[in-house]
Amino acid sequence: MSSTSSTPAVAMEASGLGKRYGRRAAALDGCSFRLPTGRISALVGPNGAGKSTLLAIAAGLLHPTAGTLTVLGGAPGEARDRVAYLAQNKPLYPQLTIAETLRMGAELNPARWDAARAARIVEQGDLDPKSRIRGLSGGQRTRVALALALGKRPDLMLLDEPMADLDPLARHELMGTLMADAAERGTTVLMSSHIVAELADACDHLLLLGGGRVRLGGGIDDLLAAHTLVTGRGTPADLAAHTVIESRTAGRGLTALIRRDGPVGEGWATEEPSLEELLLAHLRAPEAPALLTPGTTAPEAVTA
Amino acid sequence: MSAAAVLEATPTSARTPRGLIHTVLRLHRGALWIWLAFVTATAGFLLWLLGPGADTAQRALESYGYSGLIMANGSADEYSSLFYYPDTLITLASFAVALFAGGPLIARELESGTAQLAWTQSVSPARWLTAKLAVPAAFIVLGTTLLTVLYHQLWAAHSDLLIAGIGPRSLYFSLGPATVAAPLLGLALGALIGLTARRTLPALAFSGFAYFLVYAFRGNHWPFQGRYQQPELSSRSRAFTSAGTEIRDPGCYDDKACLAQHDVVRFTREYLPSSDYWPRQLLETGVLLALTAVAVALAFGLLRRRAATG
Repeated sequence: MSSTSSTPAVAMEASGLGKRYGRRAAALDGCSFRLPTGRISALVGPNGAGKSTLLAIAAGLLHPTAGTLTVLGGAPGEARDRVAYLAQNKPLYPQLTIAETLRMGAELNPARWDAARAARIVEQGDLDPKSRIRGLSGGQRTRVALALALGKRPDLMLLDEPMADLDPLARHELMGTLMADAAERGTTVLMSSHIVAELADACDHLLLLGGGRVRLGGGIDDLLAAHTLVTGRGTPADLAAHTVIESRTAGRGLTALIRRDGPVGEGWATEEPSLEELLLAHLRAPEAPALLTPGTTAPEAVTA
Repeated sequence: MSAAAVLEATPTSARTPRGLIHTVLRLHRGALWIWLAFVTATAGFLLWLLGPGADTAQRALESYGYSGLIMANGSADEYSSLFYYPDTLITLASFAVALFAGGPLIARELESGTAQLAWTQSVSPARWLTAKLAVPAAFIVLGTTLLTVLYHQLWAAHSDLLIAGIGPRSLYFSLGPATVAAPLLGLALGALIGLTARRTLPALAFSGFAYFLVYAFRGNHWPFQGRYQQPELSSRSRAFTSAGTEIRDPGCYDDKACLAQHDVVRFTREYLPSSDYWPRQLLETGVLLALTAVAVALAFGLLRRRAATG
């Protein structure tokens, strides 16, 4: 809205966001981040980290119990016509046919519906528009749900494990469709997934949730560049100047993922970690300090 | 077509609920067909009772008076029991409305996540619930009003053929605007319970129980309703001689010689209108509609707390 040229426009901004279900441990707790417009962001975290909760709050389906979340410049649910949401279980009306489901999309999104685009996604899957949702396989349902989500030409897509029940071929193809569409229209995408390979190809931004808050956030390239995988014959004490995320002894040496603070000393072989190595190290070390790159830091989180 | 295009072009097309109404109709077309079939069949039955169905009983009344109705030769007393079937059907349909509202209309959608699917199109939860209530309410009002009006016609024409007892009385006092308001309350209660339970089976059970309470209230089955029990309904029977003079029913039953002896050629009978009818109907309707309003307000409040508004 009032974004200047130096700060990119923000699609989503969370500040101190919390959600508690009854008396159970909080699903989200003090979650703060900022998602710049136009990024394709991977939402990663262990089971129960609050990924689905965050997406449902952003979609205007749940109230947070603490903090605020701004979506496309307003409260969640204020811009329903510009936000698409794909729930984990891909709910669709079983009694409708595919054609009727798309017609519903047209009727419920009168201002933005792109019938041709929705129909094309269905056609690519060789689906008969006259077949009922009830009789579709999981993958076919996902395709129809995705057609419904893309048909409304959203500015922000919230996808909760979109490709979980697809075979590798269909996954590759649908992911391609999704990414081409997002790139063409500059759509911001926030997508949760467990499949790191899928994320590495498609996403340029990462939000790693753990313990109800963001542990890693930022452009994937920036995050990878901020970390170094070091191997050498030293001891953990030699790396004390840096932030050590995880270290393992390998033979007589040591392999560690660190956040560099100054040059690494002599005798260490350094390389940039892969996304998978970065994620696994952080998932194995939940106590590692959070790192958010400047564009991803919510204003409140800076002072915290 | 151009009008639709104009509407679609406005950024706040949230103001035009036509698409939402179409969607609600399409989602629940099974229930809609069942409702239309029920209204058609019941209306047809009422028309039959109003016309050909009444012939036998009418002849029995005219020739033998009230005795002709109760002597159970032929189908004269059968008519009296058939007369109440539409009332039973309307009651059952009202139960079905409450179950439908609790189960398929609301709870099943919340359980399967399709409600959330609708809320993440360009439709806010409040507008979704509005359409979910308004569309069935329109069909309920139209259908039950039609049936109630027909039933009133039937009462005016043939209530004289009813065998006396609690039956005519409770039908007379229960039939009216309250017949339309009761299923509306069923709809509102079902929706509220559906939103509370959020699962189909418990919602069905609780909606059924809630409507049973409404049914008991309407049927004066509550202890505290002692003072409001249905008042007596008086009827008047008359016998006419061939000279057209009105005489007392000679009590001949089907004894033709006896009737000839008293020179009775025709009997009539009627239920007299009760001055208690409108006060009771309006009070009952008022209570039912007030409860409906409370249930709807609670349902929207619950929805607002549960899902982000907008």
